[in-house]
Amino acid sequence: MLARLTNAEQLMMQLSWYIALIPALPLIGFLLNALVVRNERANGLLASASVLAAFGVALYAVVDLAALPEESRRLTVTLWDWLSVGNLTVSMGLLFDPLTAVMVLLITGVGALIHIYSMSYMHGDARPARYFAYLNLFVFSMLMLVMADNLLLLFLGWEGVGLCSFLLIGHYFDRKSVAPGIVPSEAAAKAFVANRVGDAGLILAMLLIVSYFGTLSFFGADGESGFLNKATEVSFISVNVSILGSIGVVSAIGMLMLLGVTGKSAQAPLFVWLPDAMAGPTPVSALIHAATMVTAGVYLIVRTHIIYDLASDAASWVTVIGGVTALIGATAALTQFDIKRVLAYSTISQLGFMIAAAGMGAYTAAIFHLLTHGVFKALLFLGSGAIIHGLHDVQDMRRMGGLRKSMPTVYRIYLLGALALAGIFPFAGFWSKDEILAHGWYFAQDYNITIMLIVSSLFTAFYMGRQIALTFGGEARDEDLHPHEDLGSMKWPLYLLAGGAIIAGILNIPGVHWLHDWLHPVLHEETELFTLSMGIFATITTLLAAGSGYLGYWLYNRMDRSQIRAGEEDPAHYYLGDIWKGFELGWGVDYVYTRFLVKPYRAFARFMYRVVDQQAVDGILVEGTAGLVGKLARLGAGAQNGNVRSYALVFFVGVVIVVGYVVFGA
Amino acid sequence: MELVLFSVTAIVALIGAVAMLISKNAVHSALFLLLNFGAIAVLYLLLQAPFLFAVQLIVYAGAIIVLFLFVVMLLGAERDEDEASNLRWQTPVALVMAALLVGEVIYLLMTPATQTVGEQAQSFASPTQIAQSLFSTHLFPFEVAAFVLLTALIGVVTLHQRRS
Amino acid sequence: MIPTAMYIGLSALLFTIGVLGVLLRRSALMVFMSVELMLNSANLALVTFANQWQSVDAQIMVFFVITVAAAEVAVGLALLVMIFRQKRTTNIDTMTSLKG
Repeated sequence: MLARLTNAEQLMMQLSWYIALIPALPLIGFLLNALVVRNERANGLLASASVLAAFGVALYAVVDLAALPEESRRLTVTLWDWLSVGNLTVSMGLLFDPLTAVMVLLITGVGALIHIYSMSYMHGDARPARYFAYLNLFVFSMLMLVMADNLLLLFLGWEGVGLCSFLLIGHYFDRKSVAPGIVPSEAAAKAFVANRVGDAGLILAMLLIVSYFGTLSFFGADGESGFLNKATEVSFISVNVSILGSIGVVSAIGMLMLLGVTGKSAQAPLFVWLPDAMAGPTPVSALIHAATMVTAGVYLIVRTHIIYDLASDAASWVTVIGGVTALIGATAALTQFDIKRVLAYSTISQLGFMIAAAGMGAYTAAIFHLLTHGVFKALLFLGSGAIIHGLHDVQDMRRMGGLRKSMPTVYRIYLLGALALAGIFPFAGFWSKDEILAHGWYFAQDYNITIMLIVSSLFTAFYMGRQIALTFGGEARDEDLHPHEDLGSMKWPLYLLAGGAIIAGILNIPGVHWLHDWLHPVLHEETELFTLSMGIFATITTLLAAGSGYLGYWLYNRMDRSQIRAGEEDPAHYYLGDIWKGFELGWGVDYVYTRFLVKPYRAFARFMYRVVDQQAVDGILVEGTAGLVGKLARLGAGAQNGNVRSYALVFFVGVVIVVGYVVFGA
Repeated sequence: MELVLFSVTAIVALIGAVAMLISKNAVHSALFLLLNFGAIAVLYLLLQAPFLFAVQLIVYAGAIIVLFLFVVMLLGAERDEDEASNLRWQTPVALVMAALLVGEVIYLLMTPATQTVGEQAQSFASPTQIAQSLFSTHLFPFEVAAFVLLTALIGVVTLHQRRS
Repeated sequence: MIPTAMYIGLSALLFTIGVLGVLLRRSALMVFMSVELMLNSANLALVTFANQWQSVDAQIMVFFVITVAAAEVAVGLALLVMIFRQKRTTNIDTMTSLKG
């Protein structure tokens, strides 16, 4: 528990209004780009400058934060009361504590680099203002997500990043299909809908929290009245879920939030949107789907870690889903032939690592991996962007080959990223991934999951080796392609990220665990002792990974154009047949959704359109009513036929009726 | 005795009316109508309205029927209408309605008859009495009726004036 | 003494016959004649009640009815003649200018 704040600290809090600048600057960038600025170069500069400025402010805030004593490291500012309904009050409040700080630095730092890269990559695009505006809006939403001091404001950012990813994936909405045969507008819709399904879980969790805690604020205005503080008080209450029996409140909350996480962070079974999301521009993939948005789920779990500490059944679900997803992602990445789809499935797999770590209680390890992954995955995506750019929009690896000669800089950078991802010592990925594996084996002692993760990491190395071989190794397989390396200003972000991929590991080296100490006020994890057996364990797993990586490289490097052709199956398909195909399709999850959900729904929508809307509503209700009125009117007009005799008849009928009434009735 | 008289006159009136209805020749219809008017005049007599009996005969039988006959001759409309009616459903509907009306009237008349009409001890509507009433109580309507006749006269003459 | 009902019944019957004439005959002249029949039947009813209630006023009313009927016939027939000059027929089914 945090101690009550002293006057000095309260004064400090009042002065920390400036943290509101961090999300405000990208928001201003968004507004200007959307409404005012129309020049492509200006769009890019404005967008990049706003994110860079936010990064600067964030650095200042970190310095401020570090100056505070450890127990009270939290800067907050409440801008205004958002809503006040009955007993529930939600404020527009931001907080800045160590966990938020690392997220903000990642978002603004990598985000700024991607903005700068975009200025070169998206040169000549038809809609630059829209692109940069939404990119800024995305950064704003993500910052709101990580800086929110209550769950509702977090949800605002959550929805905002979902919206922006929809908008940005669909940036090429006027194209019928992008390289691997995906329609961008459909891919965007798929992302949004899959996210939405998860969001339902998060909303239900919020409702539970409100009804049992009365507040959505994480820590409350005084640092002690938020629902995270009070979580222990209700841990014994059970909720009756009708036929399913009863479940602890905390477990219910945890599992419902997990549903939201599976949607946003592309875990099983809601990961199907992420591979298709590659239809968007490559920098978008880098920012949203590698470094930031998909990590929102991990952040959520880590922020509300107390819930998972109290509800071990929910936590074990988290772990299982993380492990399974890691495996699905890794096996799928093995089989893809589109350069970005490999990275997409790889992201799914690595997110599985992070989620599994969080489920096992290794929150620091999860965040550590989040940071390193953010750096090297962004590097890989931007590198693939450079390749695609140099080949004039070719993404199919079967047509590549021999690029190490024609694009040497990109080759070296990409290789760096691949080694980091595969977890090879001493690059960034090694430290974070092995911390997760060590925790799983020695501290959580969850052997099944850890073995799943180890297998996944072997596959990871293998598919990166395969990718390197197919793309850069061997000889060029397609004479129509004339690759040229023309990086321009794309190279500065690439170099910076490459540097990050090399050294990011020092954030949390065993023994000198800076990240762990930094996050301690928030996560309260005990320091884990580093033993020799852990070192041996790490060495073994890394050597295995290196071996499988090289195996992948070697196998595919030997193949020439006779075995690898565009439009044909991977040679491994010959040996593994349907298993390979199953992996390629992501274990059939997407197929199940398409066949049993999307197609019937589309048929239903078509039915509603053709039958209900066109025939029933337009035909019967609208035109039918009009026609009926017309017919009735014509019928009525028949009474005015101009013939005196018929008028007289009507008279007479009236007379008979009146006489009848008088005689029989009245 | 009175009943016999009434019955015979009533039957004659009805025959005249029906015959007028179904006759194909307009002149025949007019003449049957004349018969009907005559019967009604007799009925007036039975109802102790001698003045009206006279007026009926003079005006209706003497003037109006003659007028009708003049016009029939003028227009040459003795012939019956030749084309088929274009309101074919009118006939059955009209007949049904007429039957209904008659039914209602009969129902009405089923109530026990208490009132009777007929010969009175003293006459109450002799020409003298009518004149007295007409020129005192009902003087104004009398004058207006004269006016109406005048208007009709002028109107008819105006209608048939040749444009000069 | 004859019951009032019989006179009234007769009047009603004559009235109905007159109505049928109006509805079913197509020559304008026949329609006119039927209208006169209807007027007469009403007059008969009036006179009957005059007798029943010993009222002179009712008979005077009949007197006026007859007067106005005469005027009406005159004007009506004059109009009919004018129309016939235009249309060469007395078939009222052809006179449908008020149609619609």
